[in-house]
Amino acid sequence: MPGLHSMSLGSMTCTRCGESFEPQEKIVNSNGQLWHTQCFVCAQCFRAFPDDIFYEFEGRKYCEHDFQVLFAPCCGKCNEFIIGRVIKAMNSNWHPKCFTCELCCKELADLGFIRNAGRALCHECNARVKAESQGKYMCHKCHSTIDGQPLRWRGDTFHPYHFNCASCGNELTADAREVKSRPGYTANDMNELYCLRCHDKMGIPICGACRRPIEERVVTALGKHWHVEHFVCAKCEKPFMGNRHYERKGLAYCETHYHELFGNLCFVCNAVIYGDVVMALNKAWCIHHFACALCDTKMTQKTKFFEFDQKPICKKCYERFPQELKKRLKKQHEVQARGGKPLP
Amino acid sequence: MSKAAKKTLEEAIQSGNPELDLQDKQIMSLEELPGLLSLENITRLTLTHNRLTMVPPAIANLVNLEILNLFNNIIEELPTSISSLNKLRILNVGMNRLDALPRGFGSFPVLEVLDITYNNISEGDSLPGNFFMLESLRALYMGDNDFEVLSPEIRNFKNLQILCLRDNDLVTLPREVGELTRLRELHLQGNRLEVLPPEIGHLDLLGNRSCLRLDGNPWVPMIEDQLLLGPSHVMDMLRNESYKFVYQRHITTGSKPPPKNYDAKNRKISRKRDNA
Repeated sequence: MPGLHSMSLGSMTCTRCGESFEPQEKIVNSNGQLWHTQCFVCAQCFRAFPDDIFYEFEGRKYCEHDFQVLFAPCCGKCNEFIIGRVIKAMNSNWHPKCFTCELCCKELADLGFIRNAGRALCHECNARVKAESQGKYMCHKCHSTIDGQPLRWRGDTFHPYHFNCASCGNELTADAREVKSRPGYTANDMNELYCLRCHDKMGIPICGACRRPIEERVVTALGKHWHVEHFVCAKCEKPFMGNRHYERKGLAYCETHYHELFGNLCFVCNAVIYGDVVMALNKAWCIHHFACALCDTKMTQKTKFFEFDQKPICKKCYERFPQELKKRLKKQHEVQARGGKPLP
Repeated sequence: MSKAAKKTLEEAIQSGNPELDLQDKQIMSLEELPGLLSLENITRLTLTHNRLTMVPPAIANLVNLEILNLFNNIIEELPTSISSLNKLRILNVGMNRLDALPRGFGSFPVLEVLDITYNNISEGDSLPGNFFMLESLRALYMGDNDFEVLSPEIRNFKNLQILCLRDNDLVTLPREVGELTRLRELHLQGNRLEVLPPEIGHLDLLGNRSCLRLDGNPWVPMIEDQLLLGPSHVMDMLRNESYKFVYQRHITTGSKPPPKNYDAKNRKISRKRDNA
C-alpha cells in the first residue's frame, strides 16, 4: 500500500489498542482505520472474522454469529435468525417466507393479513371462515367453529369437550358452570369449571333469569335469586336496581307498569290512579272523583254513603227515593245479609 | 222559575268553572235558564232532583260535555240530538219516565257509563236499532225497568264490566252474556229467571273486585240449592255437565214463564203520568 509507506510509521496507531506498528507488521485498514491483525477481531468472541465478514453495530464490529446472537431477530416460525427483510406481525418477527396464512400457506408479507381468533389469515381464508362461522362461536383453544352451545370460560368461548369438571373429572358439556371466585379467593383469581351436578351441590345461588351462578350481589325476590341487573320489570325489562318493585302472579313490575297493567282505574275518569285511592263497592276512585253517583256531590272517605246497585249514593239522594223502592232495597239487603235465604 | 238556579248559573258563567251543578233547584224547563245551553266550555252538567219534563235538542250545543246527570226528573222523552254529544262519557237518566230511548242513541262515540235505572224501558221498540253499537260502554245500569228478554247483541259490548238488570221482568238471559269476558258485576236479582246459561260459569264474577247477585228469582231447584250455599257454588255448578243437560232440557221444553209482579211494578213513580 503506497499511501501507507509514505506516512511515518511512528505516527500511526492501532484503533483498538493505541499501540504503534512494527515496520514489517501486517496492518489492517478498514475504512481508513488501522488495526493490528490480532486486534481486528469480533468485539464479542475476540476471534478473527471468518471470511473477513463482520457486522458493525454502535461502532463495534462483530462476527456474523455473535451479531446474530446479540442483535438479529428470530423468526416466530423456524426459529432461525432473520437476515434481510423482517416481518413484524402478531407480536413476533418472521422471515417473509415464514409469515403465511395459517390455512392456505400463502405468504402474507405483501398481501396483508387479518387476525382471526389468534391466527393470521389471508383475506380470502378469513372471509371463508367468517362465513362458515356466521352466528357460531369460535373455540379459543382449537380455533375451529363451535357447532352447538359453547362453553364460556374466562370471557372466551370453547368447545366444552376440551375441559373436565374440577370436581368429578367428567368431560364437560355446555351446561357446565364457571365459578369465578370462592371464599378466600378474590374475584377471577381462581376460575374453575364444574359440571352442573357438582356445581349445584356447591350451594352457589343461581339467577332466576339467566340460570347462571351469582357471584356478586344477590337479589332475593319472588322466591328466587337474581343478579342485580337481571331482576327486571316484566313489562319494560328495566332492572329495578334496588328501586321498589310490585309483585303480581309471580312476576315483578316497576311502579309505572304495575299501575298501568293492574292498578286501580278510577270509576269516573277511567284513568290509572297514581295518588291516593278511595276503594269502595269493588271499585276505585281518584280522591277528587269520589262522589254520589246520583247527584255528583263530592264525598270523602269518611262520608257515610248508601249502596245502590254497587254505586255509592249520598244520604240525601237515598232519602229522596220513593217509598216503594226503599222498601224493595231494604228487603233485598235483608235477603243478602241472610246469605241469599229468603225471608220465612 | 228558580232564583237559586239563575244565581248558580250566573256564578258559573263568571267563574268559568267547567263543572256546573244545578241539582235540586226546582227547574221545570231548561228554557228558564237562558245562556245555559250556550256554555260550550262546560264538561259536567248535573240536573239531579229537578222537575224537567223534557230535554231540549239544543243540549247538543254543549259539545264539551263529558258527564250529564239527569237523575230524578220527570223526563218522558230524550231528543235524538243527544247522541251527537261526542265527548259524553257518563250519562245518567235514571229515575225518569222514559218509555224508550231516542233513535240513533247508539251513536255516542265514547260513552262509558249509561244509567237508565228506574224507567219504563223494555226490549223491542224501546231500544233504537243501533243501541248495541255502544262498544265503549263499560257500565250499563238498567235496573228497575221492564225488560223481559235481553238481545243476544249484548255480545257487542266487549268492554262491559258492569251489567245491572235488577228488578226487571227477565225470563231468560242470552248465552251471549258469557262472551263478555271483562264482566265483573252482574246484577240479576228480582227477575223471573229459572235457569242461567252455562257460559256464565266461565266469567270472572267471584274475584275480590267482582259481584254476582242472583236473589229473588224463581230458580230451578238445582240452582236454588247451590245459591243457598253461596254464588261460588252456583258458578261451580254451571260448569258441570249435568247442569248443561238440565239447562238444555229446560230451554227446549219451553215451559210457561212465571207471572209478572204487576203490583210491585205499578207502584213505581216512573209510571205515574199526572203529577198530583
